[in-house]
This record gives sequence, C-alpha cells and structure tokens, in this order.
Amino acid sequence: MQIYLPIAELPLSLFLLLGMGAAVGFIAGLFGVGGGFLLTPFLIFIGVPAPVAVATSSVHIAASSVTGALTYWRRQALDSRLGAVLIVGGVLGTALGVLFFNQMRRLGYLDVIITLSYVTLLMSIGCLMFVESIGAMLESRKQQRAGVAPVKAAPEKAWHQRLPFHMHFARSKLTTSVIPVVGLGTIIGFIGTVLGIGGGFLVVPALIYLFRIPTNVVVGTSLLQIVVTMLVAIFLHATISQAVDVILGLVLVVGGVIGAQFGVRTGQTLKGEQFRLLLAMLILAVGVRFAFEIVGKPPDPFVISTVEVER
Amino acid sequence: MKRLSALLLMLAGLAAQPTRAQELVLTLSTREVAITSTYTGADVTAFGFIERDVRSVPRTEPFEVIATVQGPVGDIVVHRKGQLGPIWLTAARERFARIPTYFAVLSARPVSEIVSHENAQRLKLSLTDYLPPIDTLPPDEITAQSEFRQALLRLRAEEGALHIDPKAVTMVRPNLFTVKVNVPGKAPVGLYVINISVVAEGIVLRTAQAGFVVRKVGFDAAVADAAKNRAPLYALITALIAVLLGWFANFAFRRD
Repeated sequence: MQIYLPIAELPLSLFLLLGMGAAVGFIAGLFGVGGGFLLTPFLIFIGVPAPVAVATSSVHIAASSVTGALTYWRRQALDSRLGAVLIVGGVLGTALGVLFFNQMRRLGYLDVIITLSYVTLLMSIGCLMFVESIGAMLESRKQQRAGVAPVKAAPEKAWHQRLPFHMHFARSKLTTSVIPVVGLGTIIGFIGTVLGIGGGFLVVPALIYLFRIPTNVVVGTSLLQIVVTMLVAIFLHATISQAVDVILGLVLVVGGVIGAQFGVRTGQTLKGEQFRLLLAMLILAVGVRFAFEIVGKPPDPFVISTVEVER
Repeated sequence: MKRLSALLLMLAGLAAQPTRAQELVLTLSTREVAITSTYTGADVTAFGFIERDVRSVPRTEPFEVIATVQGPVGDIVVHRKGQLGPIWLTAARERFARIPTYFAVLSARPVSEIVSHENAQRLKLSLTDYLPPIDTLPPDEITAQSEFRQALLRLRAEEGALHIDPKAVTMVRPNLFTVKVNVPGKAPVGLYVINISVVAEGIVLRTAQAGFVVRKVGFDAAVADAAKNRAPLYALITALIAVLLGWFANFAFRRD
C-alpha cells in the first residue's frame, strides 16, 4: 500500500516505512540511542529528499527520546540540572545548525556535507568504541583471573574544573565550570540538526570519559537534552527549512514505538561490553556504507542532486 | 541549380500555405489530477481530431502525431565527481535553469522516423532544446557542456522524469487519435502542458496545446498549505504529536 507524503512530495510504501521505523526503533531500544544515524541514511536511500529526511528524522528522535527520558525520570536516573545546562548549549547549537543547514542547501553542498560528516563521525566514534569495548572485555577477563579490581587514582583537578563559572551537579557527583558543558551541548545540537541525529552516541561517551559522570545518570540526562534540542530542531526545521513531513514522521514514530519495546527487552539480556561492541560494529557498518559512496571511482561520475521547482 | 532551389522555395511556400486549412481539435480526459493520500501517479488521455476541409492538400501518407508533455519548470543541477585524494567528490557542476522538471515525448513510432532533425528542434522534442544553444561556446567548453547535457538526459530518464514513449499515441482512425500521458507519482505539482503536432510526409501541419494541473487536494493539500503558510502552528503541532506519541508509548508499555 502506497502513501503519498505531502511535503516530501512522493508516494512510498506504508509498510516499508513502518518496517523501517520499527527496525530503527528496535536498535534504538536495544542500545538506548536515538537511531537517527540509521534512520536519516535509510530515508535518503529510499528516495526521500535529503533535507526532508534530516528534518523529519528529528520527529522520530523526539518521540523515542520522550519515551526513554520518562522512564529514566521515574527511576530518578537523570540529572535535570546538568541536563538544563546542556540544553542551553543545545538550543544555541540547534539554531546555528538550522542556519548552516539552509545556507548549505542553498549553495547545493548539503548532500556532500551530510555524506562526509557521516563518514568521519561514524568511523571515528565507531573505532573509538570498538577499541574501548575490546579493551574492557580483555580487562574484565584479566580481572577475573587476578581476582582484584585495580583502583584508578582520580586526578586532583581535571582540565574542565580549572575554567571559571563553577556549578555543582549533585546527582552527577560533579563540580565543574559550565563552559565545557554548554560547549558540549552546542556541538551536539549543531551536529544533530545538520545530520538529523539525536547525538546520544556522542553525548554519552563525552559525559562518561570527559566528565567522569556516573553511568547510571548519563543516559537519562542525554535523553533529556535530546528531547529538548530535537523539539527545537522540529520547530526551526518546520519554520525555516520547511522540510518536516508530519505524515512521514507519524508513520515512522508509530513503527519506531513498537520496535523500541522489543529492542529494550532484548537489550536487557546483553552484557555491558558486548553491548558496546555491538553498537560500535553497527556504527562502523553505517560509516563504511557511506564511505563506499565516496571512496573509489564511482560507476557513474555524474549525479543529479538538486531539483528546485518554481511555484 | 539556382532555378531548382527557387522552385523548391516556391514549393515550400505552397506547402506552408494550406497548413492553416487543417484544424486540430483537442480535449483531455481530465483538467485536474488530484493528489490524495493514496496517489501513486495518474493517467491523462488526450483525444484529438484532425479536421480537413476542401482547402486541405490531399496527402498520400497518413497523418502522424507527436506529443510533448512539459511539467513545471525548475532548476536542475548536474554534478560531475572528480578525484580528491582517496575520495570522489563533486569537481564540477552545471545548473540547468528553468527547464521542465517533467518531460515526455510521445508518438506512435520513434520521432526520428517521423520528422527531420531540424523539425524536431523546432518542435522542441528534446529536453536540451529548452537549454541555451552551445554552438557559440569555445570548443573545449562545448565538449564539457555536451557531456553534462548527455548526463542530464540519461539521469532524468533513469529517474522517470524524462519519458520517451514511441507507443503512447494510437491512431484510432486516420484523423482521430489518442495520446496516453502517464504522470509519475514523483512528478512535481503544477501546470502540465501538452503540445501536440500533426505531421504528414515530414511536414508539420498543425500544432495545438492543452494543459492540466496536478495539485494536492483535501487532507494533503491542507497539510502542505499549513506547512507553508502557517509554519509556526504546523511546527508546534508536529512537536506536540512527537511528545504525545512518545509519552503514550511510555505509558502503554511501562513495566515498572
């Protein structure tokens, strides 16, 4: 059954879209990520114009992160104070991202930028996570043999604590300058808006490795930030880029919600390092898929990118 | 030799004169293609009648019909990838401004068998006839330009936005015909113009035009209109839908 998408301006199979939403939702639920980094490329691949794919993915990400954030909220597993500071940066980054997005769209560079960014971002994050999770797996085996966990000495004062404007985040057990936190929020908001991703797979490692925040509050806090930045992204994409397709968004969300429930259930059976290794491999796979598009001689050197119809 | 060419000119003049005697009457199966939620493209049929009167020159060969369909105009950019270290990126681009974003050439047999190259150009039977001529460019640019134009034609045909169908015209009677126009689901909304030419013995006797509109109606029109003209409201509703569905999912599937 085909359904006509009024903003994307093309008919697509309803079941294909539902299935795609469900598949992305499954992976999102499994790994606790937004899944935007899979959804946007998928949509572009099936023929949705890149601006519509990026802008509409934010609807899917907003809905799935609302679901997630509520769960963590009830478990008291999020730091709303830290989240609020991240959001300040996130909103700023999102606004900058939408402006950049439209400027690049006008100049006709948007497709190239999306492809290049996906390759570099996914490959680097994927490699880092891959190496880290393999390391952690070896480490835990060694510990099992030795029987004692090595105690890591915490550094006296981290680099981010030496900056001015300190703030205390009780739940995250962190006192630090707000500058790096706002900065992180800005970068994530910017990247997320331009690429149509939530950025959870960037925020979570950043909070864990840079700020040494306890893992149990990281995911909830990151989801809280994603909810707000994606809602801002929806608003700005719909008003400035005019590329949000509400019908496409609705179908994807319905599929995603169902898929996510199965994903969450499957995810509970996985161990931490296995989980990170699988996610790393998935991210790497998407990165490699994008890399194939630009590495090596293309079968067809010509490509049509923009079609702007005069109304 | 000179007398021969003069004679030919006179004959051409004579041949051109009676063309006005042929009348071409056109009508379309619909003037409006409505896009609804289940829209996947549409068929529009043009019916034509070639009227002859006493002034018409009797012809030994039957009438033939060539139709072109032009969708709304727009800008199309063709990129050519070039090598930059290990990766291939756009090295050159060509913007084709204001050309039909949907174009079809419909006939009963290949148009090259019906009309000469010059007549085909005059009737604008190729998408490239809508582009500025390239003969005036320096020779090296001509090569690059024609490569881009070939790519444009090839890629638009692959996308279904350029459709050449030598089986779309049916001559029901020697002077009565139908033209089947297929509007693909991906074709943009807007005005579509059908140009129909009647040809006999390679001479274009008559050309007539008819048009139809492809537009969104009902719910889809309301959504597209809201997205364009009431963007803040549309944005708020979309954001609200996302929040509500997310909240509902959490509520419906909660296990703690």
